[in-house]
Amino acid sequence: MPSASLVFQSIVLGVLLGGLYALLAAGLTLYFGVMRVVMIAHSAFLILAAYLAWYAHRETGVDPLLTLLVTVPLFFVAGVAMQRLLLTRLRPATLTMMSVLLTFSVALVIEGLLGYAFSGTQRRIRLGYSSASLEFFGARVAVVKLIAFGLAAAALLGLYLLMRHSRFGQALRATIQHREAAALVGIDTDRIAGYGFGLGLATAAVGGTALSLDTTIYPSLHWHWIGPLMAIIVVGGLGSVPGAAIAAMALGMTQSLLQLELSTTWAQTVFYVALFATLAVRPQGFFGGRLAQRF
Amino acid sequence: MLRLGALLAGIAVALSFPSMAPSPYELTVGIAILNFAVLSTSWNFVGGFTGYISLGHGAFAGLGAYATGLLVTKGELPSFVALFVAAALVAVLAIPVGYAALRVRGASFVIVSIALVLIMLLVFQSWASFTGGSRGLVVPRPFPGKLRSEHHEIFYFLFLGLLALALLAWWIIDRSRFGMGLKAIREDEDKAQSLGTPTYTYKLVVFVVSAAFTALAGGLYGLWFGDLDPVFQFSILSGAYMVLMALLGGVRHLYGPLLGAVVVGYGLEYSKLEYGDTPLHLVFAGLLLGVVVMFMPDGVIPAVTGLVARVLGTGETSIREVTAAELRDERDEREADVRPDHRPDGKRPDGKRDGKREVRQ
Repeated sequence: MPSASLVFQSIVLGVLLGGLYALLAAGLTLYFGVMRVVMIAHSAFLILAAYLAWYAHRETGVDPLLTLLVTVPLFFVAGVAMQRLLLTRLRPATLTMMSVLLTFSVALVIEGLLGYAFSGTQRRIRLGYSSASLEFFGARVAVVKLIAFGLAAAALLGLYLLMRHSRFGQALRATIQHREAAALVGIDTDRIAGYGFGLGLATAAVGGTALSLDTTIYPSLHWHWIGPLMAIIVVGGLGSVPGAAIAAMALGMTQSLLQLELSTTWAQTVFYVALFATLAVRPQGFFGGRLAQRF
Repeated sequence: MLRLGALLAGIAVALSFPSMAPSPYELTVGIAILNFAVLSTSWNFVGGFTGYISLGHGAFAGLGAYATGLLVTKGELPSFVALFVAAALVAVLAIPVGYAALRVRGASFVIVSIALVLIMLLVFQSWASFTGGSRGLVVPRPFPGKLRSEHHEIFYFLFLGLLALALLAWWIIDRSRFGMGLKAIREDEDKAQSLGTPTYTYKLVVFVVSAAFTALAGGLYGLWFGDLDPVFQFSILSGAYMVLMALLGGVRHLYGPLLGAVVVGYGLEYSKLEYGDTPLHLVFAGLLLGVVVMFMPDGVIPAVTGLVARVLGTGETSIREVTAAELRDERDEREADVRPDHRPDGKRPDGKRDGKREVRQ
């Protein structure tokens, strides 16, 4: 039986990890909301952002966080372009299925190019504060993990405020709720959907930079992330942002606690167990709304 | 007549390939392509008939290979007995998997199929005491006395036989009532259900059949290659290649996956030879998949036959396969015909042309 302080430590780490999962799952939920698209390439873009942060740090020595100034707008534009140039050209009848394959192909291209440019070698950013940690009610927490969580929390909060309190957010939510009705009241739904997609990809830039702070990265790492993220959005109910956030927190915490007793690999199976359990019991997801029931 | 001739010519080429191949290397390329062809034809039982796209069929191939290998090494069964027992075991395992996965449609189904491969990868890597983990599992060769080239030749014909079996099974289902029900699911699942098709049972049965064939292909590969590693056996990439090959050739056609396998399999071998150390083959595969999805989601065969039909002007045949959209167009046309403003030239009053018709293979 692990000691109480160890359990507490795991809970703290679980919350920190869950925050990052929640941010990334929110991006996936946005894509699904605006386009009915399951974006397999999300985690590939995550790794791409991490590589850009690592590369900028290696070449110029700047703090990885500064790369956000470049990667966030860049990814936003890439998202809009992807929606406009690729996804809207698929046939509506088979959009969901074909978009999976299309984004999968994007993921393959990114992985291949990353491997070509930077080789398969594992990379890691060494920072002045990499090994620093804080004492927090008896739990030791690495500073970089706190920064990563802070980034994720700030991005999620920003996303929430944007969705709730801006005209764009209103238009985006209207587009997600009922595209035709939104178009009827004068919203340019195509443009809004494009921006929504860009917004989703921008969250991958933030997540990737957060990830680069304390993880070893390599080109095929995105497969490691895609499973848990997909599991989270199914458990949370496809298309539900709060559902994704709750599921992300719950599963991230469970994974962290299971690591006390099991190896890291076995602890990861919690996502897949949850995925299959959800499908067997409640296929529309545990927190899903109206949208999820159709898929 | 023409088709029978083409079929016989194809069989003749396939049978004589080992004696024509200039070196054992070309023979192994031939085996790899046949392996791909069996895999994508097996995938096409689900993908082609029902329209459910599984990216996780690599899991069944890997399970077939590992089950065969473990039955030979730990169970001490003869190689080919192990192969069929393994396929049966995978078929049994596919029942609960299909039960969970087929409860959801579209996007969720694809997610589940991806998850399946990732789980298997985790399990087979972690459970090293049983599966050998990342050190790999060596499967003893079924014909220890044979030379390497003889060994390749035997496996070439074994793969060819398996491919013939898979194609035959697909052909039979294609012409059966069961196949009709599956295609109804592909076109409009809710409507098929409301018309009394037991959609869930049909989906599950064809999923299990597909898994069993995939496992046979994987197991045969295990016996041929002799060395299994979880990273390659349970890779999403192998599932993606199956989808790519089937889509490229055309999922509604018997020979679609086979054609796709020849193109993709040869391309992969070539890029491995040319750019072996780089991950550029991923880029090629990704770009090819993107192009197929964007520009010819029905595959090469319909695109080419459509072109040929337009050139020769033989677009009409008596047996056609039509989509729901085409049926709707046709119905509109009939309704237009019974109205008094019916025109003798067969054109609709609104001047719209016929929907494009797909010629059945």
